[in-house]
Amino acid sequence: MKRKFDHSAPAARELAGFPPPAAPAPTAGDTLSSLPTKTGPKYWRSLDELADTPGFREHMAREFPEGASSMEGVDRRQFMKLMAASFALGGMGLAGCRRPEAHILPYGRSVEYTVPGLPLYFATAMPLRKSAIPLLAETHQGRPTKLEGNPSYTPHGGASSLLAQASVLDLYDPERATSHTKGTTLLTNAQVNDILAAINKTYAGTGEGLAFLADESASPTRARLVAKLKKIFPRAIWAEYEPVQDEPPVAAAQASFGKNVKPVYRFASAKRILSLDADFFHAEAGALYYAREFAKGRRVTKPTDPMNRLYVVESGFSLTGSMADHRLRLASSHQLALTAALANKILGTDMYAPLTLGLDFPNRDQWIEECAKDLLEHHGESLVVAGADQPVSVHVLVNAINAQLGNIGRTVDFVEVAPANASSLTALATAIKGTTVKTLIVLGGNPAYNAPADLDIGVLLKSVPDVIRFGYYQDETSALAGTHLAATHYLESWGDARTVDGTIVPVQPMIMPLFNGLSEVELLARLAGEENADAYAQVFSTIGQLTSGDSKKAFEKFLHDGLLEDSAYKVVAVAFDPQRSASAVAKNPTVVALSAQNLEVRFATDHKVDDGRFANNGWLQECPDPMTKISWDNAILVSPRLAKELGIVPGGSLLQVARKEEAEFVQGKENAFVGEVTLNGRTLRGPMHIQPGLANYTIVLPLGYGRTKSGHIGTGTGFDAYTVRPAAAMGFATGATLRNTGARMKLANTQEHWSMEGRDIVREANYQGAEGYQQNPDFVNGIGMESHSPAILGADKGKPLAFIASTTPRGNSLYETPNLDGTHQWGMSIDLNTCIGCNACIVACQAENNIPIVGKDQVMRGREMQWIRLDRYYSDGQADAEAFGAEGNKVLPEDPQVSMQPMTCQHCELAPCETVCPVNATVHDDEGINVMAYNRCIGTRYCANNCPYKVRRFNFFDFNKRATDQLYMGPLGTQSEMPELLKMVKNPDVTVRMRGVMEKCTYCVQRVQQAKIAQKRLAGASGDIEVPDGAVKTACQQVCPVEAIVFGNIKDEQSAVSRAKAQDRDYAVLGYLNIRPRTTYLGKLRNPNPHMPDYVALPLSRVEYNKKNGSAAPAAGHGPEHPKAGARATSPANAPESARLQHEKQAGGHS
Amino acid sequence: MSKIFPKSANALPLQILIFLGVLGGVAAAGITYYATPAYLRVGYQPVQPVPFDHSLHAGQLGMDCRYCHASVEKSGTSSVPAAQTCMNCHSIIKTTSPLLEVVRKSYQTGDPVPWVKIHQAPDYVYFNHSVHVNRGVSCVECHGKVNEMTTVFHAMPHSMSWCLDCHRNPAQRIRNPADVYNLDSLTLAAQGPEGLKTAEKFIHDWKVKPPQSCSGCHR
Repeated sequence: MKRKFDHSAPAARELAGFPPPAAPAPTAGDTLSSLPTKTGPKYWRSLDELADTPGFREHMAREFPEGASSMEGVDRRQFMKLMAASFALGGMGLAGCRRPEAHILPYGRSVEYTVPGLPLYFATAMPLRKSAIPLLAETHQGRPTKLEGNPSYTPHGGASSLLAQASVLDLYDPERATSHTKGTTLLTNAQVNDILAAINKTYAGTGEGLAFLADESASPTRARLVAKLKKIFPRAIWAEYEPVQDEPPVAAAQASFGKNVKPVYRFASAKRILSLDADFFHAEAGALYYAREFAKGRRVTKPTDPMNRLYVVESGFSLTGSMADHRLRLASSHQLALTAALANKILGTDMYAPLTLGLDFPNRDQWIEECAKDLLEHHGESLVVAGADQPVSVHVLVNAINAQLGNIGRTVDFVEVAPANASSLTALATAIKGTTVKTLIVLGGNPAYNAPADLDIGVLLKSVPDVIRFGYYQDETSALAGTHLAATHYLESWGDARTVDGTIVPVQPMIMPLFNGLSEVELLARLAGEENADAYAQVFSTIGQLTSGDSKKAFEKFLHDGLLEDSAYKVVAVAFDPQRSASAVAKNPTVVALSAQNLEVRFATDHKVDDGRFANNGWLQECPDPMTKISWDNAILVSPRLAKELGIVPGGSLLQVARKEEAEFVQGKENAFVGEVTLNGRTLRGPMHIQPGLANYTIVLPLGYGRTKSGHIGTGTGFDAYTVRPAAAMGFATGATLRNTGARMKLANTQEHWSMEGRDIVREANYQGAEGYQQNPDFVNGIGMESHSPAILGADKGKPLAFIASTTPRGNSLYETPNLDGTHQWGMSIDLNTCIGCNACIVACQAENNIPIVGKDQVMRGREMQWIRLDRYYSDGQADAEAFGAEGNKVLPEDPQVSMQPMTCQHCELAPCETVCPVNATVHDDEGINVMAYNRCIGTRYCANNCPYKVRRFNFFDFNKRATDQLYMGPLGTQSEMPELLKMVKNPDVTVRMRGVMEKCTYCVQRVQQAKIAQKRLAGASGDIEVPDGAVKTACQQVCPVEAIVFGNIKDEQSAVSRAKAQDRDYAVLGYLNIRPRTTYLGKLRNPNPHMPDYVALPLSRVEYNKKNGSAAPAAGHGPEHPKAGARATSPANAPESARLQHEKQAGGHS
Repeated sequence: MSKIFPKSANALPLQILIFLGVLGGVAAAGITYYATPAYLRVGYQPVQPVPFDHSLHAGQLGMDCRYCHASVEKSGTSSVPAAQTCMNCHSIIKTTSPLLEVVRKSYQTGDPVPWVKIHQAPDYVYFNHSVHVNRGVSCVECHGKVNEMTTVFHAMPHSMSWCLDCHRNPAQRIRNPADVYNLDSLTLAAQGPEGLKTAEKFIHDWKVKPPQSCSGCHR
């Protein structure tokens, strides 16, 4: 029987979701019409018409102004009307059984390179201050969904950062500035062009009264246009301001070497590294490159491999500090004294002795002596790095030390940079006060929010007659500006940038501006009166000037490669000039004794929202801070010592917790005291969080929160640390006090407990020493519970990994597991020795796998959805299981060691989740992946309860569908849906899960399947359907800056993952449960210097382990045989040594 | 105490049981027949905005499937052609036909022709055309003899069990890779015992191992 149906045309909304073809943009509407139609290749225009569909206009109208969209959108009457229609249809018969009509909407004209269903990749870059991260953007029919590092740029090797991963979400932020405005009236693009042309005309020749305030940039095109602007407006002020410093001051290099140079560190060649308040894994420019290089010197695959040693002196607790082999807590303001003391030792002088006055910390002399000795012993292979926030004196001394150590040219290169020729914000403020500024153009940045408090920039901005703000959001600064010009996202605009080493990279648009925004290049070109102000033409001309030959070809190659070859800054030979530098170093002691009445305040760049620019990014806000594990907020970080003096140390521990916690938790919510910081008469209030490992009297204030005019996400999260920040001390200031107000505030802390309790979760050893890795390469097997439990693989224990993974009987389990007989057997190895805990994997996974955010309230209830979590453990060597109430357990550690561990679904071969699922929604596939069939899941959550790793996530409130600030309220509740715009970020290759469904890491099964399909498609008669090693990269693996994650086929003995798992350090977390996780870890190593005063023979977590499980001494409860020190397994009687080792290795969870 | 239940009530439990049994049986039979894709989908033949005749183009004129469905060998989707593809010929042939007005307009304005979707996999199913057509599975296996259809209709049930029938026993459905786009060709298995042997050899040599795990299609 054939049935015929007649169908109406598709709804406008349906059409809106479809990228329309490459036709010239139609002129329509007032505000959205005047898009220049001649710009750029046509395939960029994929979404221009989206901006003009009725559905989209309606969306805009509803989203803005704030509060216009409301619950009353569908009232009861309307609801009844709608329901009446469906009742009627229901009564007519089977209409309800028929699925809704869908349409296929092909292009009108085919688009170059586009194959429907296949993504395209384009090179672009994310600019940030004076550097950039080269990227490859994945676009689906003109819609960018995911960013990866550009592997052509070898210093990053295809890695990218947390911020780069999340930046694609900003593109689709419904709360970004969507129109140009003057007061309350909308401006068309033509009107904006007129305004810019008028400025050019008015100020031409003099520039008197014109001022610019821009954020920093390394764009060659911008530099060229600024130079031109300065020529046209000779008396105009061009000021640049960045709230956070991420590069050492050029003044220091100028004083040291007499040249305009900046350092580029080569961590890979450094065997001994000393960081002086430098968080080069995060806060310094080039952190991605540095982390990667550092890991190269850190990674060991066999005991004979060399390993670097890291000394960190810092006041806060950074990721760099967490990797330190020796970490010294020292106030930032005391760093100069320490640097001077080290310089004295290393240079063999006492020139800087006066500077060291007042420097005091435990074992001071020995610490300095031994550290200096270690550096001196590694002439030309050591490296001293100072943080960008440290004063010029410190950097000059560090240059002197590096020169003396022979490091310049070997572990640190100095590259030539253009001299800075921008005025400072302070100079601009003075000019505004002198009422000489008539027109102020604020390019990017957000000075009204992040300028130093004592400049009172808000008042100044108001006093300028004409303020034109160019920005991505309608923010605090826009509120003070008469005119706001909407900026484009970097994924919508042409531009260029330079990476930290100076390589020029293109910023290519992936999509037409969604809201007709203006790019910075175009704006400057119009102001400069360029004939062709189009951003593409401007960038083309910049690159044309830098290349020789056919400029079109050169430009195409530039775009294709994503970088301009040999464009890095030139390395210059420098010689340290003692005479010249002497004047730049402070003469008088700077150390001021700190106490609770005279605190040091450290202003820190936030890990997630940076200086506040990413405050409205939900992925970042929800991502927990790597150290504090607080999401959606910042906190005043105080040391345990200060906490004790303030009386905010939590009183008792919870029943099941053997250790004192760093905070009081009420039903899993951190119940923090609100503190009041006073600095120079300015105060701020914020929740106080105890951070072990801080310098005793330093408090850390993370910047970037407390936004008052951002979107739904950014507004009102955390407190604004800029309100107490003085212009004279942007990095750190002394003289602050902190008062406990007694008020309480709830924080969303995702990790309540900080201790491993002497368990074997992260297994660590020292690199050297009696119980170190070099003596006991398989130390991980001596630590685990497996060393006490019966052998796990029985007769097959000696077999190779490939055999065990595919053929070993599944441990006589009653549960029927599928045969793991697929072509591949997937597995993962995570190297804890190189993992720096940067959280990039969390957001990369979120972007790849359509993971929703849930909001602060839900995170407090433990309902966060990120598939990966990064566990952060502190160890102080005090945990003592036999004495839950013992003294060591009652104090918070002041100086702990930190161990990081990424934790996600381990894909157990004998998965406990599978045995309890009543509907077989979670099962194994034949290639060893523990899969979730979402459509089968009925949401019992038994699997999550039975998962020993707690890595399953449950979607409670349709987080993927609801509007960001609302929850799903059941079928009868009124729903406001997620804005269409936000849906555009979704990966089309991954199911968007609904409420009531369990989800978890899938090993990026979509990437696995795509690689398999690609291989099968090409294999043909050859029958070669095995995916080559390295063809599948999981999202977390691809983003990882330190290459800690390896994924692949463990059936192939030559694959990278098999080789990683064959290492001695390989172990399975909770391996003794005999669940045979496919993800295993490589044990962490520490490389302390035995001569240092704070040397410990065992990592502190091992000390705790030994305390709990019996000490290394024989007859401590381990059985008779302990051939080596440490908690070792009892071996089968009479087994030869080799077989015993083999046994232990397998028991360690090889599967 | 008076009787509450008459004696005839003794038979009631049995009667109820039988009634429920019959009712259940009828309901099960009804659902099995009426509420499965084999009934609900097969035969679905919507009216398309342009009365494109596959029997004319693919049948009579002998055009290859891939002329229009160009991405089928490379991509997961087989891609419905852009209006430009139609205009390759129709800018010469039937240039004034009113039936083609929609196509001409689409070509000029860029607005898509709103073709009605016939074969629609659910959102949680990731079917990939390229891996099938490159490995001996013909279009006809899932879409029927489109070359004989004036208006295309849903010919096969496309239910999960129907997919699995072939994934579990691919030898019955495999064609010579050269015949994949020849919708009139026979499967190897239909060419007698020799053909079946060839099919089995093909499956062995090409290592055709259709996934039967959830992850094969659900991601």
